[in-house]
Amino acid sequence: MNKKKHILLVEDNRDDVDLTIMALEKCDIVNEVKVARDGDEALSMLYDTEEEPELPVLVLLDINMPKINGFEVLKEIRGNERTRRLPVVILTSSREVQDIHRGYDLGANSYIRKPVGFESFVEAVRNLGRYWLKWNESPV
Amino acid sequence: MESWLLIIRNVHDETILYEQLNQALQEIRKLNASLEQKVKDRTRELEATNRELEAFAYSVSHDLRAPLRGIDGFSLALLEKYGDQLDHKGKDYLNRIRAATRKMGSLIDDILSLSRIATASLQKKPVDITVMSRDIFQSLREKEPERAAEMHISDDVKVTGDPGLLRVAMQNLIDNAWKFSSQQDVIRIDIARERNGSETRIAIRDNGVGFNMKYYNKLFTMFQRLHSGREFPGTGIGLATVQRIVNRHSGRLWAESEVGKGSAFYMVLPDHTETSQE
Ligand SMILES: Nc1ncnc2c1ncn2[C@@H]1O[C@H](COP(=O)(O)OP(=O)(O)O)[C@@H](O)[C@H]1O
Ligand SMILES: [Mg+2]
Repeated sequence: MNKKKHILLVEDNRDDVDLTIMALEKCDIVNEVKVARDGDEALSMLYDTEEEPELPVLVLLDINMPKINGFEVLKEIRGNERTRRLPVVILTSSREVQDIHRGYDLGANSYIRKPVGFESFVEAVRNLGRYWLKWNESPV
Repeated sequence: MESWLLIIRNVHDETILYEQLNQALQEIRKLNASLEQKVKDRTRELEATNRELEAFAYSVSHDLRAPLRGIDGFSLALLEKYGDQLDHKGKDYLNRIRAATRKMGSLIDDILSLSRIATASLQKKPVDITVMSRDIFQSLREKEPERAAEMHISDDVKVTGDPGLLRVAMQNLIDNAWKFSSQQDVIRIDIARERNGSETRIAIRDNGVGFNMKYYNKLFTMFQRLHSGREFPGTGIGLATVQRIVNRHSGRLWAESEVGKGSAFYMVLPDHTETSQE
């Protein structure tokens, strides 16, 4: 297989989209990144096609989004037979414990608080990649 | 006849007296009820304010951080991807933008933790300050392993209070002791439980630069610092936070120092189990 499976990034803030992609590049994570700009778009990318769309290897999910927020997307993912085992990592600027607990209660696999300093963010993404992408087929 | 009249008169007086008493009683009942209502209203108002404050803190933690992340991340991208098109001065400006951004990030974090202390509910439990302090000291050591540091903590520093809040307080006091002693060859921090009359206090002493008692009235005020940020970086929120935590425990906090001779911070927390024994 030549192509790595893609990562689905669900994020409404354009700056954060670019920063996350920059951080992934910095960590040599070469999976294609598909971006959903809100929860609604994420759900249609996961479910709304004639033939079943290919699933991402990892979902990076922002919490605070307009219309359908990250928690609701997560609930949907966990409630659907086809996607319920999909690794989902919550990415958010919040560090409120209630958010963290809620995320885990809804079945998030991991949680990253987006720190102000970019280097710490890259570090967090690196750890995440090490853990969630290591079983991935290597690119040839 | 005379005596009959007297009796009737007395009965009449008593009836009036009884009515007056009854009226007064009713008055008191009404007052009581309206007082209770007032307390209920006030409590509801306070709870609403508390909720609003929490919502505010929450949105601060989300919404103020996001743009800062952008400033820091894109400044770094400029430095890394276009650094060769910038001269030394240009790079320096970008680095200053990044430093200022991170400073604002820690300001936001500190203000948030301060506001949480105001709204957090207090849970009183036995707290082992000795163990807690060793823990805090250990992580400071790990952060700066190159520094020579000694810490002496007596084994018996135990109080009653909120474990989470007291950890924040001790963290701030020990951080300060460490930071303001960093110019010494060996950092020395002593933590002890001391009896002073009927009071038991916790003393945190260091061998650092100390401060001028002339400015003592600014010590526990938010954003006030007695040393320059160039020498000792910081936000000036730490001691204001400690003060608030001690206030919430109905305790007392004070300090003594002399420039160049180290500092001592004292904390008295009322310990109900202890006072009831005495
Ligand atoms: N242990 C100490 N020794 C000397 N000065 C201290 C000590 N602790 C606090 N101070 C003085 O009090 C100021 C306020 O402390 P704090 O609120 O913790 O702010 P910060 O640590 O961010 O500077 C400090 O800037 C410093 O000038
Ligand atoms: Mg401090």
